[in-house]
Amino acid sequence: MIDAIGTLLPIVGALFYAAGTLGLLRFPDVYSRLHALAKADNLGLGCVLLGLALQAEDLAVSLKLLLIWPLALAASSAVSYAIARRAAHLGVKPWRRDSP
Amino acid sequence: MMQLLERVLSFAGLWWLLAEGHRDGWLLGGVAVVAATWSSVKLWPPRAYRVRLTALPGFLAFFVVNSVRGGLQVAAMALRGRRALTPGLIDLALILPDGAPQILLTYTLGLMPGTVGVELADGRLRVHALDVRLPVAAEARALELRIAALFGVGA
Repeated sequence: MIDAIGTLLPIVGALFYAAGTLGLLRFPDVYSRLHALAKADNLGLGCVLLGLALQAEDLAVSLKLLLIWPLALAASSAVSYAIARRAAHLGVKPWRRDSP
Repeated sequence: MMQLLERVLSFAGLWWLLAEGHRDGWLLGGVAVVAATWSSVKLWPPRAYRVRLTALPGFLAFFVVNSVRGGLQVAAMALRGRRALTPGLIDLALILPDGAPQILLTYTLGLMPGTVGVELADGRLRVHALDVRLPVAAEARALELRIAALFGVGA
């Protein structure tokens, strides 16, 4: 059972990565693309890490894998904010539905 | 003093994890623990805000549930393309005190459904929302209350 979940989760994670990349390609401006990257990729990373942690042979390795998640989350959310803020300061206007 | 000890012990725990329990790297580990404690005291003075351990599980559960929601929502929007979006900027008046609580709010909002922080200044946070028709302000307020409980500050 745990083996099956451990195999399934990285696959689910890969699907989230694919969705995040799709958003990066299809969304219209820098702000919307940040949403796709920050949220979908981080959920993908969480699934991959949890799956690998379930497959790991000892507890220290599992915990180490799980530790990567909060560290990557902290880095990516700080970087998203920095990019969005810089874009706003440079005068990049968010895409709006009614604009051409 | 207690807080310093807590930090030393948590960094030592982190090192133990990174070394996967091996005992032969503790000389380097000791140096890393001292350096990490020193920089944490410089960057986050012990007397500023403290995280309440009793509120931590509730916050983490809220965070994990909402980041899964956020990931699912944005993945569904990515599949539909730009016609799924009604984006815009929203200004939120914060009730959290400035410093660590507001910064944690700004960063965590970027992982919650539909929002990413754009500018934090003077107790106001401007966010970019993927769909302005969703209850963005109410969700941000719920997160604020969780963070207020986490730091034990009135909000």
